[in-house]
Amino acid sequence: MHKNMKKATPYLLLFPIFIYYAVFWLAPVASGIKEVFVGMDGDFTLTENLKLMFRSDLFSESVLNTAAFAAISVVLQYVIALVLALLLSRKFIGSRFLMFISMIPMAITPTATAILWKTGLVKDGWINSLLMGLHIIDNPIVFMNAEGFQAILLLIVIDTWTVTPSVMIILIAGLQGLQKELKEAAYTFGANKWQILKDITLPILRPSITTSVIMRMIAAVQVWSIAVMVLGYSKAPFLVERIAFYVDAIPGVDTSTKLAYTYSFLTTIVVLLATVVYLRVSGRNKIAAGGEDE
Amino acid sequence: MMDRLNAVQKTVFAIILAGMVMLVAIPLLFFITVSFSNSTEMTQFPKNIFPSGEVTVYVEPKDDGKYELFYDYQDGSGYTSIITTNNASKLEKHFARQYAVVMDGEEILEEFSRTRTEGAREFTFRKDMFYNFKQFFKIVPNAGVALKNSIIVSLYTILISLSLGSLAGYAIARYQFKGREQINVGLLIVRMFPTVGISIPMAVMLIKMGLYDTMIGLAFLYSIPNIALTSWITSSIFIGINKELEEASYVFGANSIQTFLKITLPMAFPAMAASSMYSFLTAWNDTISALILTNENQTLALVVYKAIGTTSSGIQYAAAGSIVLIIPALVFTFIIRKYIGQMWGGVEL
Repeated sequence: MHKNMKKATPYLLLFPIFIYYAVFWLAPVASGIKEVFVGMDGDFTLTENLKLMFRSDLFSESVLNTAAFAAISVVLQYVIALVLALLLSRKFIGSRFLMFISMIPMAITPTATAILWKTGLVKDGWINSLLMGLHIIDNPIVFMNAEGFQAILLLIVIDTWTVTPSVMIILIAGLQGLQKELKEAAYTFGANKWQILKDITLPILRPSITTSVIMRMIAAVQVWSIAVMVLGYSKAPFLVERIAFYVDAIPGVDTSTKLAYTYSFLTTIVVLLATVVYLRVSGRNKIAAGGEDE
Repeated sequence: MMDRLNAVQKTVFAIILAGMVMLVAIPLLFFITVSFSNSTEMTQFPKNIFPSGEVTVYVEPKDDGKYELFYDYQDGSGYTSIITTNNASKLEKHFARQYAVVMDGEEILEEFSRTRTEGAREFTFRKDMFYNFKQFFKIVPNAGVALKNSIIVSLYTILISLSLGSLAGYAIARYQFKGREQINVGLLIVRMFPTVGISIPMAVMLIKMGLYDTMIGLAFLYSIPNIALTSWITSSIFIGINKELEEASYVFGANSIQTFLKITLPMAFPAMAASSMYSFLTAWNDTISALILTNENQTLALVVYKAIGTTSSGIQYAAAGSIVLIIPALVFTFIIRKYIGQMWGGVEL
């Protein structure tokens, strides 16, 4: 009797979250999926809504932009952050101050980040003030007219400003955790700096880099607020930007609800695929780290 | 020593460091300045990097008892004529709206009357530094309510995530049972699941439950990733807590609830605080779900988002609103910074 009680305890403790996720997660996910496969007339359809999405305005742009944004910004951020981390990963006066400053961009609410950059990107904004003050340009640049790929690049720059300092901190933390003995041993055996970087530093950093890259990708796929707030709807279409567009800009129309559902579905699939990759990679890392339990 | 730098390396190091700090700090400085700028400063170009606390105007007395007001836009053309008046309320409005100088109109006129004896001269007034902040809450409908809503929804999210999440975290840490590994994976998937994907069907569901446009309804959504996150953070802490201490407590006759409250809970407190901060940040920073799940009862982030959509002029008020939005988020991020590194792939900061 007592033993059975003990066996049941973990399930009892987990019971509330089972209920919670059944009601507030599984049910909406299921009805969301159902909506994608129920047509406007209320009958089951496999492809009607998907076709509606494929044919909707700016669909292919939003897919391509999302892919380009996630890929370019993540690669750019990690390359810059890695270079900075390698340069700055030593103890120096003011390193705590650097950490403090670097935390700020990521800590700011995304809505506020968007406004920060909007005040800079308008024609009489602070970016033009700065560039002209430094005599880099002679006439103000009209950033807000950016279209197509230029607009995406603009958003990538903003995202890079936001994310890179935090990534740098994480990489610096990883580098400082490196065993110094390893490096010194390599030195003794005559390895040069480049060899140490290539054969010791990067391989040791790799697991934490890969997992955090995937986490970043998942966040980058869901970009929308900076795009909408800085440039406006439909200027730089992204997957989640389309959802917001159909909910916020043209609500109440039957097709827009369907499209919002279908775009949500697509975004979810993309994120879940990334999650699967994450699970496989982190699983492999765990084995590589000696199978220790987290 | 291999790590000692020579003079050239030291210089390069210092330049990179300074460049890095400036790249982050300069946009922030300009932004803070915008949030303290008055309407006139907003039309000026180039913009200043530091906020000014004063406004200087040049006043010339006129024969008909009026005064002509001049302002220097710093564009090289010197003082420009703005208005000619002796109407107190008109002056008062002009000073508040254009210069963020809050002063009684009669008092301004009295100051100006000195020009009758001293001749045309400059006057310097102190700006009301929080003018934009006050205006933000005045102009934007329901900004005050939205601030309250944001706090309420954050508290609900913390409460739900912490109570459910730490129970699960304790179960996962302390018991070996069938399906433990699957539950761990399940929690990770829930954590990664985009809340946007659930928001729209969630809205339909909340309407049926009568919880649409309420803060508790919104908190139910924000809690989805945060319950999983809380259970993950707390389980790693519960594993680390010395089991012997708990057993000793049993020996001294404490029951399991007493042990949990007196021994386990205090030791797990830092982890619980950290996961609460995460819950707070999710609720505080979100816009898209609030957009979908609310109508009248908006949150502060949503109100700021909408403020920029509706007013392209008066961006300084939206900037002031953003500063209000940023400060709590900033404070809490610094409190939990130790855990962020772990979140991002197991690095300790």
